[in-house]
Parts: sequence; C-alpha cells; structure tokens
Amino acid sequence: MEGDSLSVIKLKDILLVTVPDDPGDNVIQELQVKVLNAMEKFGSKGLLLDISSVNVLDSFFARTISETTQMVALMGGRTIIAGMQPSVAITATELGLHLGKAQTTLDVDRALDIFSDSSS
Amino acid sequence: MYHTQSKYIASFNEWTEQKEFINFTEEDESYLKKLHPYAMNYADECVEMLYEHLLKHDATRKFLTDEKTLNRLKLTQKAYFLDLTSGDYGEDYFNGRIKIGMVHQRIGLPPQMYLSTFCYYLQTIIPKIYSYPDLGTETANKMFMALYKIICLDQELAISAYIHAVDEVITRQTEEILEMSTPVIQVWEGVVAAPIIGTLDSNRTHQFMERLLETIVATNSPVALVDITGVPQIDTATAQHLIDTINAVRLLGSQVIITGVRPAIAQTLVHLGIDLTDIITRPTMASGLKVALDRLSLRVIDMPKGMQGV
Amino acid sequence: MDVKEAGHLPITSEGDMITCRKAIRTLATSAGFGMTDVTRIVTSVSELARNIYTHAGSDGVMRWRILLQADKVGLELIFEDQGIGIANIEQAMQPGFTTANSLGMGMSGVKRLMDEMDVHSEVGVGTTVKIMKWGRAK
Repeated sequence: MEGDSLSVIKLKDILLVTVPDDPGDNVIQELQVKVLNAMEKFGSKGLLLDISSVNVLDSFFARTISETTQMVALMGGRTIIAGMQPSVAITATELGLHLGKAQTTLDVDRALDIFSDSSS
Repeated sequence: MYHTQSKYIASFNEWTEQKEFINFTEEDESYLKKLHPYAMNYADECVEMLYEHLLKHDATRKFLTDEKTLNRLKLTQKAYFLDLTSGDYGEDYFNGRIKIGMVHQRIGLPPQMYLSTFCYYLQTIIPKIYSYPDLGTETANKMFMALYKIICLDQELAISAYIHAVDEVITRQTEEILEMSTPVIQVWEGVVAAPIIGTLDSNRTHQFMERLLETIVATNSPVALVDITGVPQIDTATAQHLIDTINAVRLLGSQVIITGVRPAIAQTLVHLGIDLTDIITRPTMASGLKVALDRLSLRVIDMPKGMQGV
Repeated sequence: MDVKEAGHLPITSEGDMITCRKAIRTLATSAGFGMTDVTRIVTSVSELARNIYTHAGSDGVMRWRILLQADKVGLELIFEDQGIGIANIEQAMQPGFTTANSLGMGMSGVKRLMDEMDVHSEVGVGTTVKIMKWGRAK
C-alpha cells in the first residue's frame, strides 16, 4: 500500500526486497536508500528485488532500478529482479524501458538458485 | 470486432459521393418529385404485377408462402415504391435502404434475385411513364433517366448490405481462427513451444504476445520456442511487435529461441535495423529444442536395449 | 459517439498521481479493457501525471471520459497544466528523448502504448496532452 515502508531483509549474504503493488515515488526512492545502507551494513553480495506484486512499472521506477543496480554493483553486489508480471513486461517493452544491467528471473526461487550457484 | 456499418458504402457521405459520380442532381430529384403523383396512381398496379411475377418463380415464391406475409410485404413494397419518387434522398432514405437490404440478406434472398427484382420494377414502371400524353416525350425521358439513376443508387446500397453480412461472417471466423491457431504448449518442464502459422497482423501478434508470456509465467518456463516456419512474411509493424515479444519474454527472465526464419522475414528484420545479436535462432524447432534442453542442463540419452517400458 | 461517464482529478502532488493511477485502473478494468491494456493505460497516466507535477511547474488536472462508439469502448484522458510548456514538441516525441529534468519525457513511449495521442503546448502558457485507448465493448 502507498505509504507503507519497504522492508529490506537480509537472507544469508543477499538482500531481499519485496516491492508492493503500486509503489509511490517516495517508496521507490526509499528503496534505493535502504538498499545501499543495508549493503554497507551487511556487505551483501547481492540484491533480490521481488516485483511479483508490482502492476505498474513506469520510466521513473525503471530508472531507479537501473541506478540502484549500478550502485549495488559499485558496492560489490549483483542484482536480480524476479517475478515480473506479463502485462508489466509487455508494457515496459513497448515503452522502451531498460533495467540496466540487472538480470531478471521468473521467480524468487530461481534467483536464489543463481545467487547460491555463484557463491559456491 | 463487429462493425455496424459496411466498409463498402460505409456512410451517408460516401453515398453522396456516389450520387455525384452518377450525376444524380437536384434536377433529377425534381423530376422524380414531378413523377410522384403519377406514381401514386400506378403504384398498386405495379406492385401487383411484381408479386405476380415473384410468385411464378420458384426462387422467389418460397419466401411468399403465406397470405399474411404476402399482404404485409405488398404494403411495404408500395411504401418503398413511393419513396423512389418522394423527392427526399437524404440520410433517412439512405438508412432505410440499407435496412431493407439487410432484411433481404437475412431472410436468405440471393443477391442476384434481389437485383433482378429492381430490373423487373423498371419494366413495370417505364411503360407507365410514357403512357401519359400530358407529360411529353422530353419530360418522360428525363423522368426515366432520374428513376434509373435512383434505382442504381438503391442497388448499390442493397449490395453493400449483402457484402457487409458476408464481411461479418469472415470477421467472426477470423477471430475464431486467431484463437485456435496460436497455441502455446508446454512441451517439457521448463520449455514452452509456440508454432505460429499464417499471416501475423498487429492484433494477432498482441494476442500471441499475451498468451505466450502468461503461459511462460504459469508453467514457470525459462525457455520459449517460437517457430515461424509457417509465417512467410511480415510487415515492419508486425516485425516490431515480434521483436517486442522477444524482449518482453527476456524481461520476464526467460529466453526466446526463434526457429524457422524464412528469407523474407530475415530481410525485414535486418532492414529494420534492430540489434539482433542477442536473439537466438535455429533453422528448425527440433534444433531449437536441443538448445532449450541444453539451457536447462538436460540431455537426451539413448536407453540401453531392452529397457523400454521399465 | 456516446459519452458514458466523465470526471476529473487534480494533479498537484505525488499523492494525486497515485490517486489518478488507482482511479483509472478501476475505471479501465470495469470498462472491459484487458489486463495488458489496463497496464498500458495506467502506465501512461503515471508518465503524463508525473510530467506535470515534476516538470511543468504548475498544478494540473486529469480529465477522463468513457466513450461508446458502435461496439467499441474508448477511454479518453486529457492532462492539462499551466506550466512552462514544451519548447519543441516534435523533438519530445522522438523515441529516446530523455533529456533529464525536462518536460516531455516518456511521451514517445506513451504514444506507442495508446491508440491516439494529441499534444498542444505553448512555452510559458501550458500543455495539454490527450490520449485515447479503444477496446471491444463488453
């Protein structure tokens, strides 16, 4: 819900963020700040962004994701975005949005597999 | 999509253009108006003659089987008849004619019978026009010409009703075919396959794109095989949609493998100037499947002899 | 063409943008648009509303109308502001036009998502953007 705070959860050596369905700009900006702070605090190797609830992905959100991915990379982590909804993927493609260097997976499980594969 | 207006004579404005082309002028309208009182005179007789003729022929008699229908039709016919010389050929006239055409199409009267009836009409009316001594040959000629023009215009509207009805059937069937002919099937855990057959237009590609992505998510498939062997060519707009589809699937986190790219499509895609470096293609769906299995770290091995069914 | 419903919402803050998104989502869904079309429409609302409250430098309003034509349902949205205006509309409509912090970002994308788009703008006076999406009536 708009106005709700975003939680950044530490899962072993990665950070998990579950994005709510219609995040306002402040929530999105908060995401970036909280993630970077958590990266510093825990020295995480990765960021897992769960967007399976998100039903609008506009250019602002896409840009923030792209920037955050770059920032996380600078701090030594990789970013995976999981669970994009079909209609969101179609709209984002038609809008010409890019998510930067972030990798995408169908769901959170696959993302976790990738993270554990790369750390083993 | 159901359209309530025919694209053959889609609007009153287009019919007005036809009137201009035929050279149906205000003068014609005035001659028809002049003819009107005479028409009121011989209307009943002409209608009778017409129905006598229709009843004599099998093709038309079958629509006139009962007395009640016959009498009702005769009245409608008379009204139609008198409308020809009413002098008002505006939007109401236009709408009325289209409606009548649709009724005739709906009851199943073959279009050629409908058009021939117009011809028979003229045969009953023309002698009448020339039968009035007070009219004079020149006036009668002008009336004949005007009547001929308005009957031609009526025929155009009648035919458009028939064409429109056929068009509706085609549209409906096209939609059904569209739904049936872009299946997206899970062929193995993690692999969906979508063979596309026939021409791809914007509408179809949109539907396909939705169905493909939804199936990928529902079956949790990291690989999608899209076979376009059955698509001989596409226009640039559709090619763009196809590229969108590939990119959208990528955004989801899955990989698209395109198989069966025909020469014309290869040309269109390259000419579009899109970055095609990340698109995986193979000549056949079978070879695409090999790539898919490889991606999933799966391998097909030969079973030792005698082990089938174990 | 029949107007089935109409209304408007203010765009003066970020909260308004969210309100607009939610309202149009409900509207488009109940008008019978499919999920992907609803997403296209709501995303366009987000882009255009954001343009107003972020860049235009003035308050704005979003007007909407639901239209019925033959068997088609149309959703018309008009975004108006009295802000700085777009200096070069043609340039703004080019794909990839992404000058940061300028009005008109994302407009070429919206054009792709919608069926019709109309932009009128005058520097120092304001901007009006009209967009339209058609779907099959239920």
